[in-house]
Amino acid sequence: MLSVNNLVTSYGLIKALKGVSLEAKEGAVTCILGPNGAGKTTLMFTLAGILAPDSGTVSLLEHNLTGLGAPKVLRQGLALVPENRLVFADMSVHENLLAGAFTQSRAMAAQVNDDIDKMYARFPILKARHDQPAGTLSGGEQQMLALARALMSRPSILLMDEPSVGLSPLIVDEIFAIIKQLNKDGMSILLVEQNATKALQVADYFYLLDQGKVAFSGTPDQLKNDDVIKRAYLGGG
Amino acid sequence: MNFDHIDIIQSTIDGVLFGSIYALIGLGFTLIFGAMHKLNMAYAASGIAGAYTGLMSLTILGMPVLMAFIIGPVTAGLIGLLLYFACFRFMPRGNQLAPLMASIGALFFIDELIIHETSGSPMSFPAVLPDAYFFLGEFGIRGDLLMVMGFSFILMAIVMLLLYRTKLGLGTRATSQQPVAALLCGIPTHRTNGTTFVLAGVLGGFAGCLLAASVGVLSPLLVLPLTIKGLIVTVIGGLGSIRGAIIAGFAVGAAEGVFLLVRGVNERDIYVFLLLFLFLVFRPNGLFGTTINRD
Ligand SMILES: Nc1ncnc2c1ncn2[C@@H]1O[C@H](COP(=O)(O)OP(=O)(O)OP(=O)(O)O)[C@@H](O)[C@H]1O
Ligand SMILES: [Mg+2]
Repeated sequence: MLSVNNLVTSYGLIKALKGVSLEAKEGAVTCILGPNGAGKTTLMFTLAGILAPDSGTVSLLEHNLTGLGAPKVLRQGLALVPENRLVFADMSVHENLLAGAFTQSRAMAAQVNDDIDKMYARFPILKARHDQPAGTLSGGEQQMLALARALMSRPSILLMDEPSVGLSPLIVDEIFAIIKQLNKDGMSILLVEQNATKALQVADYFYLLDQGKVAFSGTPDQLKNDDVIKRAYLGGG
Repeated sequence: MNFDHIDIIQSTIDGVLFGSIYALIGLGFTLIFGAMHKLNMAYAASGIAGAYTGLMSLTILGMPVLMAFIIGPVTAGLIGLLLYFACFRFMPRGNQLAPLMASIGALFFIDELIIHETSGSPMSFPAVLPDAYFFLGEFGIRGDLLMVMGFSFILMAIVMLLLYRTKLGLGTRATSQQPVAALLCGIPTHRTNGTTFVLAGVLGGFAGCLLAASVGVLSPLLVLPLTIKGLIVTVIGGLGSIRGAIIAGFAVGAAEGVFLLVRGVNERDIYVFLLLFLFLVFRPNGLFGTTINRD
């Protein structure tokens, strides 16, 4: 569904992505592992249209997304929950969700309200906090808000950049349960995650990104049996 | 010198009324700072330039006085958009100094342009409500300044409605708080920033016209003081705080009125600037600013 072909992205003279190719299948959870500085966030920002690639292509359901810019990429159905959540801290939870629906036209107001109710049903804690500034939410709550905000655009594929980072184990479990449920409800997901053990519980396919290149790709079974990965990511040999 | 509490209160009233102009200019500076976290130094100059075009529509085209208050703000809004493209839109993202210096350049450019076109001499601006004067017990209230204040309140209310009750406002606030996330929500941040410059420009144009109407003249000599007062108001209010800018505008006006009474017109601004230093040293985030630092 999402196919990435030979993507190169640089910051000035530094190449952060050196020709990345990958595929995210419809209805699947695809996971990208990789050490700090591997280029995972750079990849996510390039896919979402925040960064423009030097070369390579991104396409979603046969539509070319390369170089469209973030607002247009979103309209094509690709939404990103960014690293560190980036909620609008001084706006209420409700307004954050409304901002997530920015691409929906005025004529869709009734549907947007419906969607907000659905988000409140999926994330009851957001309903309880709907009037509160997003900046006063806990890390886990902010992660849920960022996720709900991204869903408000009604994407066909959801990208998530390290949703579990900085959260307590209990909250991480909750976040992964939500990811699993979302996927069960039909959402295609491309997930960046450093916690390989957790990722193994939800993902259908893995890519390992290292120094701007895909170093490994395979199914969960292939991942579990790869010696190098076992040592580096699954704690043990 | 001899003055009692009645004089002081009277000066405060005059100052607060006049302060609504500062509040408008401070609000404009703040809107732009809020959107891009950058100062547009040419902002007050664009307001005065707008007022000049408004005045010229009266003197050259013979339009009714009211038209100055339409043409002035509209032109100032257009100048705001021009400044956005010339000094901000295409500047390298991480470079704070480039847009600052560019807008200082634009400030002097506009100033020189006005001096050139008017040969540097002041032009009289028709007074609005010249004879209106009210009494409130022992205190007098200038009708034109009351009008200035009423006008300012209406404009502030419109800005608040735009910011907090419309989709455009939602996009603007989102862009100001978290530009990357705003893009990810599909908000065209360059366009919302451009719109903010136009909106602020229109406010500046109104402020310029109101200033000219209440002092009765337009002169290039108004450009620098208005720029500096606007900056002072923005800093005292707390950079980026809308509420702060409005309150600080009235407060600086009041302080100015009292300094004028106590120390006279020649010393007035010395004390206003001293106030700025006091704030920068003891309360650098202003009255309502949360923090100057941002990621
Ligand atoms: N704005 C930037 N300017 C210059 N270099 C950058 C910038 N952002 C990232 N880099 C560099 O690009 C490389 C990839 O960074 P990126 O943030 O994509 O890594 P990551 O895999 O997301 O890491 P992490 O796990 O820490 O989030 C790193 O070497 C980083 O130093
Ligand atoms: Mg990252």
